Amino acid sequence: MFKLIFLKELKEIIQSSRFTISFAVCSVLIILAFFMGAQNYLASQSQYEAAIQENRNQIAANTEWMMVQHSIMLPPQPLMALVNGISNDVGRNISMSNRGELRADNTRFNDEPIFAIFRFMDLEFIFGIVLSLFAIIFAYDAINGEKVSGTLKLCFANSIPRASFIAGKLAGSFVGLSIALLIPILIGAAILPILGVQLSSDEWLRLALIVFSGLAYFGLFLALAIGISAMTNRPSNAFLIGLVVWIFAVLIVPRASVLISGRLDEVPNVDDITAQKNRFRAQLFQEDRPKMSNFKPDEGTEPQEVMTQFSSFMRELSSTRQEKIDAFTERVNEEYINRKNRQEEVALALSRISPTSVFTLASTELAGTSLGLQNRFMESAKDYQNIYGNFITEKTGSEGHSGFRMVMVTTDDEGEEPETLDPNEMPKFEFAKTSLKTAASNSFLDLGLLVLFNLLFFGGAFAAFLRYDLR
Amino acid sequence: MLSLLIQKELKNILLSPKFTATFLVCSILILISVFIGINEYENAVTQFEINQQIAQQDIAQSSNWGQVRNIVHREPTPMQIFVSGLHFDVGRLSSISSSNDVKLTRSPYSDETLFAIFRFIDFAFIVQVVLSLFAILFTYDAINGERENGTLKLAFASSVSRVNYLLAKFIGIWLGLIVPLFIPILIGLLLVLLFKVPISGSDWMSILGLIFLSILYVTLFIGIGILVSALTRKSSLSFLLLLVIWIGGVLILPRMGVMAAGQLVEIEPVAQIEAKQEAFQQARWSQYSEDLSSVWREREQEMEGLDENERRSYRDDKEWEWLEIDDASRKQVQTDIVDNNRKLLEDVQNKKIIQQNLAFSLARISPVSSFRLAAMNISGTDIGMKSRYEESMRNYKDTFVAFAEKKQEESGQSAGFRIEIDSNEGVKIDFGRNDQTLDTSDIPRYDAPLVLASNTFGNSILDFGLLGIFIILSFGGSFIAFLRYDMR
Repeated sequence: MFKLIFLKELKEIIQSSRFTISFAVCSVLIILAFFMGAQNYLASQSQYEAAIQENRNQIAANTEWMMVQHSIMLPPQPLMALVNGISNDVGRNISMSNRGELRADNTRFNDEPIFAIFRFMDLEFIFGIVLSLFAIIFAYDAINGEKVSGTLKLCFANSIPRASFIAGKLAGSFVGLSIALLIPILIGAAILPILGVQLSSDEWLRLALIVFSGLAYFGLFLALAIGISAMTNRPSNAFLIGLVVWIFAVLIVPRASVLISGRLDEVPNVDDITAQKNRFRAQLFQEDRPKMSNFKPDEGTEPQEVMTQFSSFMRELSSTRQEKIDAFTERVNEEYINRKNRQEEVALALSRISPTSVFTLASTELAGTSLGLQNRFMESAKDYQNIYGNFITEKTGSEGHSGFRMVMVTTDDEGEEPETLDPNEMPKFEFAKTSLKTAASNSFLDLGLLVLFNLLFFGGAFAAFLRYDLR
Repeated sequence: MLSLLIQKELKNILLSPKFTATFLVCSILILISVFIGINEYENAVTQFEINQQIAQQDIAQSSNWGQVRNIVHREPTPMQIFVSGLHFDVGRLSSISSSNDVKLTRSPYSDETLFAIFRFIDFAFIVQVVLSLFAILFTYDAINGERENGTLKLAFASSVSRVNYLLAKFIGIWLGLIVPLFIPILIGLLLVLLFKVPISGSDWMSILGLIFLSILYVTLFIGIGILVSALTRKSSLSFLLLLVIWIGGVLILPRMGVMAAGQLVEIEPVAQIEAKQEAFQQARWSQYSEDLSSVWREREQEMEGLDENERRSYRDDKEWEWLEIDDASRKQVQTDIVDNNRKLLEDVQNKKIIQQNLAFSLARISPVSSFRLAAMNISGTDIGMKSRYEESMRNYKDTFVAFAEKKQEESGQSAGFRIEIDSNEGVKIDFGRNDQTLDTSDIPRYDAPLVLASNTFGNSILDFGLLGIFIILSFGGSFIAFLRYDMR
């Protein structure tokens, strides 16, 4: 009996005008999202390569490693273009120095605010907003619509258990619509390599998990709409309730919960933190000033040697100062990051009341564009800073930019032209992506919640239907 | 007859569950958004004031005026409570010094990425997304619903003109949807006054403009709803069509327009521009070093054949002249670098303007874009905000750098610290000043660019006009469709 109802539901859906229209709209959107995502990625990739090349040219134009202004960039990832997350709000460039604090600048939305006005159309947006609305449109009259048209009474004139009926309804709608969604998704995925976007096996698996979470999210809205339909007698009322729930779940709760809870657990402002560090740095410098003023070279030392001695003295002084600054910065940053993490945990936990937040968090985690992206980029940059620092020290014999540096330039026309630098010698920056295993385990809670929401809403729909007045 | 029909329509709406739901949802949302907006604004203002003090303290702690680096911040505007626009996406501070070009960095979202995940909720967002959806809900069965119920035939059994009937429908729905919304809007404005948000006269004008714009926008969706209802025979079909139009108009077309323009007009990334700027800067300084060396060689040649005393006297005579020449060429290098930076940025800026014009022209296919762009313009959180601020900061930079140079000259000290090596006296290090702080009382103040309602309305005329045209088209279309509507 379940099979019969399942097939009937499937047939009804496929033959309905709303299926045709929704299928056409969703197909266009999904394929466009893949297409635009691929184009976006390719454009970002070529911009990234051009910027890297420009940096290399700049290195190659130098004759002294000490004069090099090196910067590293967050490399674009194909999945970032498909699920944007916070990737457009994170600084993409870091001006590298071998010591001291690093800062990521040039967020995409700051550089190109035009894209921030309406934002991009990615898979998270399509699943999160468009498909959830379509799920409600499809299922708001699943039960009460049959009642209004009289087919519900007819159906139950036969010996059909209510459980089979509602399970058949849900399974029929879900399978019918999911298959219909999978077609454009597969076409979209096939477009990627055709357009020149090569995904690794790891990334294909992540994409599959994102699609899975998207379908689970779609399924829970279907179950919710069927549940609402089983709790109301008129389809118009069911749609109204469904729409209000959708507005709150999709548009309001995630934003309001993060904004409100984020402000409940106040984290010191970044400007205060920067000011603290600046004050500490100034204070240390102030303390060192008498030492500098009291510097005395050995009696009768030649001016050139005095400069060398002074340079070495200043380097030592600045090195000690920098060590203290580093220790202070690390302590302040650690405290700040801990409080920030706590704030994020509270805010995100509260936002998980809404399945939309759960889906957003799961999909961005899998795509590598979650809140962790900024930390990962900074950690990779710090690791690289050590390598870069060693490289510069090896090349120049100096600890570089953060301390005191005295350069003596001789102007001898007769000498040979100094050789320009080879940019290939510069160590390469590698951005450490999260492994699939880590991403999957980080998103495990959210994937589990999506399944739980499905069970909960289906259970609710089932319970409501058991008590439904069929007349 | 018209008044009777309006009363009937209004009564129908006010007694319907959708009115209750709409009124409650919109009231809650508008009040929440205003409350959150006020909180965010107050936070931003507090932070802005603290940052200004910090910047001033940092200047006071500098070793001398030649080394002073100022930081100026973008000023929060009360209008961001209603339309946050690009406020959270655009950098909020820039360093001001002779050696760096002005560049807004550190957007609020990049500093607090937590809030970037789901973004902000404001009045414009509620009108754009939620109210338009409710307008559809109020109108999708305005005509065909009455036909399905059989009430259309009944209504026209009396001597009712089609024009009057449609007009009554429109006025009834309009009054039923829009007038009740004034209650939460007025409460929201009261909240703003209660929290003592400093709203200027120009801001009040902008708020009125924003309310008027929102009314136009919702009116348009009422018109589209009635049009589709008059074009179809089944309410289920009109509802589906309207939802597709809503999804396309509100969620898809604006994004598509901008994304297409992004693909069509390519712009060099900032990282690449900066690398080019750095390369030029290094090349120019390196050229300067070479020029300086050859100048000194020429000076040495001039002194050839002179004995030690003559050389010293010649050097003493020429010292000031040489210093001036060297200083002038150093300043020339700085000017060249700044000019080159500005030229490179100007090129990018010109391309950006082309991209923006194309993007907005394409996006304006959807009236939602017109609403959003006009709302952002009115509130001063539009796409021009960044360039407006950077331009005014550049002007400020000129004033500030001139001021710092003047102060430096007056102090009679050199920038940085000076190391003197004397064979008799040994090494002497001069830090330029003792431990006292610099006097910052007469530092030129940075004033944020003024955004006056009169200017912003001028910039939004096109979007207001487009919304007006769309409204006329949708109502014209509704009348024509209804005049030909088969009532059976």
